[in-house]
Amino acid sequence: MQAKNGKSGSWTIASSSLLILALAVTGCGGSNGKNADPSSSASGSASPSASASASASASPSDSAPAEKVKVEFWAQKFEETTDAWFKKWVAEFNKSQDQVEIKLTIVPGDAWDQKMKAAQAAGKAPEIRTINYGNVANAAKTGQIMALNDLMDPAAFDDLYDNIRDFVTVGGKYYAYPKLVEPSAVLYYRKDLFQDAGLDPEKPPTTWAELLDDAKKLTNKGVFGLATAQTAPDLGWSSWGMQYNAAGHLALTDDWSKADINNDAYKSVFNFYQTAYQSGAMPKQALAPYADIKAFGEGKVAMQICGSWAIGQLRNTYKNMLDKVGVAPMASIDGDQTKTTATLGGWTLAVDGKAQHPKEAASFISYLLAGDPNIMIDFFKTAQFSKFSARKSVDDAMKSDVDASKDAWRALIAEKVIPYAQAEPIYPWDVSFALSTAIESAMKGTSVDKAIAKAEKDIDDFIAKNKLAGTNPKA
Amino acid sequence: MRKKNFRQDNGTAYLLLAPIFLLLTIFVVVPFFYALRVSFYDWSFYQDSAFVGFRNFYMVLTDDLFLESVWVGLKFALMVMPALLVLAFLFANVVKRLGPRLSGFVKTAVYIPTIISGIVASVIFVFIFDYTGGLANYIIGLFGAEPRAWLADVATALPSIAAPAVWLGFGLTTLIMLAGLHDIPESYYEAADLEGAGAWTKMRYITVPLMRNVILYLLVTGFTAQISQFELSLVMTGGGPLSVTTTPNLYILNHFRNDVMVGNSIAASLLLFVVLGSISAIIFRVLNSEKAIDG
Repeated sequence: MQAKNGKSGSWTIASSSLLILALAVTGCGGSNGKNADPSSSASGSASPSASASASASASPSDSAPAEKVKVEFWAQKFEETTDAWFKKWVAEFNKSQDQVEIKLTIVPGDAWDQKMKAAQAAGKAPEIRTINYGNVANAAKTGQIMALNDLMDPAAFDDLYDNIRDFVTVGGKYYAYPKLVEPSAVLYYRKDLFQDAGLDPEKPPTTWAELLDDAKKLTNKGVFGLATAQTAPDLGWSSWGMQYNAAGHLALTDDWSKADINNDAYKSVFNFYQTAYQSGAMPKQALAPYADIKAFGEGKVAMQICGSWAIGQLRNTYKNMLDKVGVAPMASIDGDQTKTTATLGGWTLAVDGKAQHPKEAASFISYLLAGDPNIMIDFFKTAQFSKFSARKSVDDAMKSDVDASKDAWRALIAEKVIPYAQAEPIYPWDVSFALSTAIESAMKGTSVDKAIAKAEKDIDDFIAKNKLAGTNPKA
Repeated sequence: MRKKNFRQDNGTAYLLLAPIFLLLTIFVVVPFFYALRVSFYDWSFYQDSAFVGFRNFYMVLTDDLFLESVWVGLKFALMVMPALLVLAFLFANVVKRLGPRLSGFVKTAVYIPTIISGIVASVIFVFIFDYTGGLANYIIGLFGAEPRAWLADVATALPSIAAPAVWLGFGLTTLIMLAGLHDIPESYYEAADLEGAGAWTKMRYITVPLMRNVILYLLVTGFTAQISQFELSLVMTGGGPLSVTTTPNLYILNHFRNDVMVGNSIAASLLLFVVLGSISAIIFRVLNSEKAIDG
């Protein structure tokens, strides 16, 4: 008995020490995960203190004992070219002065929200972040981002186009600095297939009826006539241009007190999608998400509605297709091409509401987005001119640029789409989603009237429950 | 009195319990109560959180989409679990009768889907269900059928994401079933043979009753796992078409990502916890867990 006890005793000691070791390891891991800089996993940057001491010892100039201020910068992942542009100019900025050290982390789009929420909850949000126009007003209202009026040169904001300056203005203050705009809807079509179908390749459809008609004529074995958004998450934002086009406004009244969709204009939007889907001209299941022009590039569809960014994708990935591609403004309900056909999406940089070094953070934004026009021209070039400037001075400088001035697609979008484009809505996504769910249900067979009635009820319920009436930050 | 209960290895026992107790406290108990507290607030990371009472719960419970998502979760589990259990049970019976070498190979083969991550499986099945080039449409095309929009059609979307769930769960379920089958003493079957019982009778009166606890375990864990499923619908359909594949966890994730305030998603999570708890309780109730008869 005694012997056995002793034996089991040594076993327990061995196993418990193992357990304690395991605990220590997991405990360390846990606390590391909690305390370490949230960006470390993605960027491989060391924890702030470690990197501070490292850079201090590695500092080349012994005469400047003052340490550079470290500022975290999270950029959402875009095209490879954009990521490279961010990296290049962050490095340039860090070299150009000895006050501020920007630490760039590129965060994939689908991980952004989780990562950002986690960082905000831990009080470790990056001091500079990318944010799109649609989110600026709400982020400003909830204090997530800081007004830039006192942090940046006012002249920088005078350089912006008036309508775009408005996108970042909340309560008379500027909360973000725009980097680019891109219209959400442009029509891409195959000139060769137009020819084959007996259509004039130089005359893309200008009315919705023509578009639907052409789509049917272009539908052939293995090739669909038209691709556009067909799932609620995609329809939610890509249909804003068509809503403006038909109704002249979006889904809510200006004071956000009720839905404004039970009218003929919205019915025609629903009808357009319903007809397009049920005529068989669209694939029954999306070949790719709305923002991706893959199906068109691979020759599976004859016309696709997609954002201006698709130009970059076509030029980089589907080069052999380029001479067959035509680009036109998205058709309008009645053929009037001076009506809005697209909303202007796009990205800005903003300073976190709890930033420790707002001045330094803003100095980087000034350098990158509001400074030397050549930095931005470099960006638009790498993006194959699929994105557009928010600054007058950049456009002026670009006029003397050979590549830019020769680009016909760029000219078309800059002259025929953007001037009539509107801002994205800033009301909660739930509203857009309720509407787009109704559009999708109409496509799948619900009658338009029923679908609209359901959306109207859902939106009004949402307004009532969330006390949305009268909360429009821009009204 | 207390001396009587004292045992020499008590200290060791506590020592051994300490790590898991500590870890559970840090990662489960504390967050749970913190979440409970937060669910009563309009929680923001930048402004002072405001106490709103039961408003978050009210918002979730009156949201048709939440109730719908729970229903979707239930339907999904009801599609996956019976198929999974029946298939695994039949397959385990087959494996049991195989020779040792062959059964080793089959067991490994059948287990492979289990170690494939749900995301990878979803991507594989997205290719299978692709509209223009997918395997599923190719096969029904061989029989002259028109291509179907598997993932975009309201009628087929949920079954289409149930298929990879069955595939993913099949290996582990089969192995657990197999272990249960091996646990049934051979002598019962021998006795039944002497009495002249057929295969069906043996299955009905010996195998199934003695497998009860195994099946109960698989049902409870499987049901909660399937209702909490979300990566399949996230990757394959994004919750669509309409909301027919929005499972409760996907609903919560969507709110967490889109909402300005976080209280709502936490309230929804707690309500889902209640839903899952009650479903497990019902299963336990219906299928009483009993000690195995053979002891």
